[in-house]
Amino acid sequence: MTVQDVLSPFTAWKNLFRDPVTVRDPLTERPGAARYRGFHKNDVAECIGCGTCEAICQNAAIDMVPVDGIETKEGDSGLRPQIDYGRCCWCALCVDVCMTGSLTMSNEYTWIDSDPDAFRFVPGVDHKSWDDAELGYHRPDGHRLTPPERIVMREMDPERRIGNFEEIVDGYSVEEARAEAERCVACGLCVATCPAHMSIPDYIATIREGDYEAGLKLLYETNPFSQVCGRVCTHKCETVCAVHHEGDPIAIRWLKRHITDQVDRDRYVDIIGRPAGETGHKVAVVGAGPAGLTAAFDLARMGHAVTVFEARKHAGGMTRYGIPEYRLPYDALDADVDVIRAMGVDIKCDTPIGDKVTMTGLEKDFDTVLVAIGLHLGRSTRIPGSDHPKVAKAVDLLRAITDGETIDVPKTAVVIGGGNVAMDIARSLARLQKQIHGEVGMTVTALEDFSHFLADPEEVKESFEEGIEIFDARGPREVLVDEVGNVTGLKTWKVVSIFDDKGRFAPTYDEGDERIHVGTMVIEAIGQAADVALLGEALTEKLEWNRGRITVDADGRTSEPWLWAAGDCVNGPDVVHAVADGHRVAASMDAVLKAKELS
Amino acid sequence: MKDLTDRLGTLFSLGDITEKRDDLAFVSVAPDLLRAVITHLRDVEGFTHLVLLTAVDWIEGGQFQLTYLVHNRTRARDIGLRVFIDREEATMAGIHDLWPTAATYQRELKEMFGIDFPGSPRIDEEFILEGWTDIPPYRRDFDTKKYAEETYFHRPGRETFDPATHMKDKLYPGEAS
Amino acid sequence: MALFELDRSQYPEAKADGSLDIDLASGKYLKLWQGPQHPGITGNMSVELTVCGDEVVEGRTHVGYLHRGFEKLMERRTFIQCFPIVCRICVPEPDFNEYCYAAAVEELAGLEVPERAHWIRTLILEMGRINSYMMYLGGQAGSFGMGVIGQWATYVRDLMLDRFEEMTGARIYHMFILPGGVRDGLPEGFAVRMEETLREVERALKDINDVMYCNAVFKKRTVGVGVITPEMIEPYGVTGPNARAAGVAKDVRKDQPYLVYPELDFEPVTGSVSDIYTRADVRRRDVHVSIDLIRQILQKMPKDGPVMTRLPNVLNWKIPEGETYIRGECSRGEYGYYLVTDGSGYPRRVNVRGPSYTHAMALLEKLIVNANISDVAGLMVSLHTYPPEIER
Repeated sequence: MTVQDVLSPFTAWKNLFRDPVTVRDPLTERPGAARYRGFHKNDVAECIGCGTCEAICQNAAIDMVPVDGIETKEGDSGLRPQIDYGRCCWCALCVDVCMTGSLTMSNEYTWIDSDPDAFRFVPGVDHKSWDDAELGYHRPDGHRLTPPERIVMREMDPERRIGNFEEIVDGYSVEEARAEAERCVACGLCVATCPAHMSIPDYIATIREGDYEAGLKLLYETNPFSQVCGRVCTHKCETVCAVHHEGDPIAIRWLKRHITDQVDRDRYVDIIGRPAGETGHKVAVVGAGPAGLTAAFDLARMGHAVTVFEARKHAGGMTRYGIPEYRLPYDALDADVDVIRAMGVDIKCDTPIGDKVTMTGLEKDFDTVLVAIGLHLGRSTRIPGSDHPKVAKAVDLLRAITDGETIDVPKTAVVIGGGNVAMDIARSLARLQKQIHGEVGMTVTALEDFSHFLADPEEVKESFEEGIEIFDARGPREVLVDEVGNVTGLKTWKVVSIFDDKGRFAPTYDEGDERIHVGTMVIEAIGQAADVALLGEALTEKLEWNRGRITVDADGRTSEPWLWAAGDCVNGPDVVHAVADGHRVAASMDAVLKAKELS
Repeated sequence: MKDLTDRLGTLFSLGDITEKRDDLAFVSVAPDLLRAVITHLRDVEGFTHLVLLTAVDWIEGGQFQLTYLVHNRTRARDIGLRVFIDREEATMAGIHDLWPTAATYQRELKEMFGIDFPGSPRIDEEFILEGWTDIPPYRRDFDTKKYAEETYFHRPGRETFDPATHMKDKLYPGEAS
Repeated sequence: MALFELDRSQYPEAKADGSLDIDLASGKYLKLWQGPQHPGITGNMSVELTVCGDEVVEGRTHVGYLHRGFEKLMERRTFIQCFPIVCRICVPEPDFNEYCYAAAVEELAGLEVPERAHWIRTLILEMGRINSYMMYLGGQAGSFGMGVIGQWATYVRDLMLDRFEEMTGARIYHMFILPGGVRDGLPEGFAVRMEETLREVERALKDINDVMYCNAVFKKRTVGVGVITPEMIEPYGVTGPNARAAGVAKDVRKDQPYLVYPELDFEPVTGSVSDIYTRADVRRRDVHVSIDLIRQILQKMPKDGPVMTRLPNVLNWKIPEGETYIRGECSRGEYGYYLVTDGSGYPRRVNVRGPSYTHAMALLEKLIVNANISDVAGLMVSLHTYPPEIER
């Protein structure tokens, strides 16, 4: 203890001469920092109402609520997050996890109101003074709570795959599938977009749990073509995947395939479950494609006796005769068909409607009939020379290849068309060219330019890898034939526009940009039509039609009370859509049959 | 840590040994051996600092795991002794005479898990909870959510919608699945 | 220096568990409650005193006024959902919870944290340490009637909170260190503003030194009072400045270096006799160490590079079975998290080991005996206690 210790404390008096350090008007002079986590903002136009913010909130402060002016549509639930600031702890996990980046925070932290309920509102909808605040917390770059990159699917190299028809895609291993399944945020936005409304988040969850049998059961509840769709589905679900907004969508299709790959095929029927007891009703289905067989599967499980009439040698419809084997191996399709057979469905192949079996006969012998005949007639461009024997339709060639018929494989060929069918025939012929001639000589000419291409991007990418030339925005003008009558190529003009200002199909060309594509064969792949002749004149007369397609109601029922129609022949080509159609028809027929019992 | 667990192994019959890091290992010991092992660690091996004493409820196996974490300040390393005791008759001998501060841990374990340490000072005195009548709350079978729902009430007016269900109701209400 | 040992022969014999048979009806004794509300302690805690005259015969610590059951709450939250609540276990120095929890999760989940995140975490912990000491200084001075120190300390703490705000987006509960790294890098110009703040801290420390430490009254009331003898260190689990003041040069930052402490140059601050004064002095000097560490960090840390590792989808995050213990040196001593996982998406058990658990319970109850009533508040504060880390 010194004198110093007595005097030193008096130095505090020097503060008398200091300016105060307090902020005089903190409400206006003291805005929150640039990163401040204040009241939320939500860009409701970007928000898709996926509810991951609600899922991650550890305080249960967020509710997903419908709001006026925001419609429920594909890829947007129409719900928006409502935040209860009596519970919010400002941790911003909701901002960090937000799948679209729409949810952010302002730097506003002062707000006084005498009504406690005012502190529960929908950011971006219930307008607040801080809605336009530039400062405030935004998820920093690189800070992600969900992995944006898809687990890469291994596939065969172009060099190895071009000489054969083996399946290109390897399928995920168990570890890869689990890692991909873990990326799913289980928002369920995809379910509405899937035509069959498959329970996607639920079956993805079974992959995370490793419970494949539960997964398989879920798949077959909504889709008897799960093995097929696991490979060739148009996967519209992936386009609305919440992860897609700031990353790669979940590989829903490949995950579905993974479940079907993991379960021993002998176990399928036991897992899916046996049909119900017989009802005594008889149903006929014309066409053993996805729509017809899905309806048959459902109806058989309900206990009805179903007979399917198929003109071709094998069941499967377009999935067999349209889709090449390298995309969908026949054994996968056969396995799905076997499951359907195991449900008691009698599939009669090689039984076309016409001579022995007629629609009139079916009407008499069965309680109800479904027509699901697909689109098997190729359309023609009708350009000069298109009636030449060396000008073929893609669907005809694909069928011939599937049935193992020998076809005259040209060294060079030109395909007209830019859809998946064009790619299918080009890639199938390329494989045959490689096998027979040792090299690929395929050219594809499409009306659309690459930014509006109809075929899936991976089809285009893989076609290029396989050495196929693709010319976009080319309009076919003439099939060139030499003096001795052989096809030598195709003449095209550059496409200026495809549709007129009313949106009608009316292509215009730049005649100055002409090109000759060399080929001794030309293949038209510009669309298909249904072969409705089998209905017979009388029935065709009775039915209502709309631009070449049978008119049906929402349940697939035609104007004839005993007849339903479904699948590509009424909706246009899409496997999973056909499956969904089959379900609808089955439900509708079942209701009608049950009503008959009661009356 | 291997040297230490090896030495311990020659003196005592040890259970599972988990080398977690270079400076941290967990060793399972039988309840009646705990006192001998921890005294040895304290007096011979220099683990003089009792870091913590706590419990883990393995309700599925009907056991409590008691974890005694001791620290050697000189060598800067830790060893965690795991003792598994029966969940139904949860009783364990105290170590409050080795570390007076252990009495606090034991008092908390009695209150929060219902694990008794007979003879531990003020073991039955309330520590954190006052007037608690339910089962010891840190046991796994005490459901905090259920307790909160029964004890408190939500402010009315909240309702939430599941996106997938809402979309079904709006976009395809009649259809199956 | 006279140690506070008075004649206890006039009081009843202690029983086996240390408690006394006090006959209140005799009129000789008085029960007195210190707390649960009083300015000396951050949070709520009370000491039930039995006094004879102005001398404490027995003291019993009571906690539970702030019990929120964090450890149990975490058992029903996913690993990412635990992250926002851990900081709330300790108001004045929340970041230690964030760090210990994140490090425990990272170890059990096998996550590699980017280098720059380690630097930022260290920076945050040292900033938090200064703030925690500032709150302590205010409380310690206040317990002896020096209210102005608390105002100065709070001002400096507020400046540091400004730095926290611009870096983390929040002032008190930063929620910035999360499993896998930290949320973001440092804002533009941060080092410059930090240097200004550090100068203010130094200026305040000088004033506080002049008015509080070099003060006859403060010395008179604190030197030789509430001594923690070296023999008490181990039985009572004493760590941090409380132990270092007794000459035990143990500092987790040095002994089991974590984060980037191996790359920083510092020495643990120690004293010779752990009385109230020396403990206060150790803490004052520790602030200077922290200031120096922050300067070193800002100078040495990498200027760019990632601050966050790639996390799995946190909504489906499961961590394999395991258990671990992570410790660090917080302003009050050893802070640690014992985390047990069972392979599910939720922690099986989390146990938070706060230094106050031993300091404010067994140790305080020991030290308080024979103290003068007027010294009780100063003694409590001198152990630098935060009750929420006792009851959690």
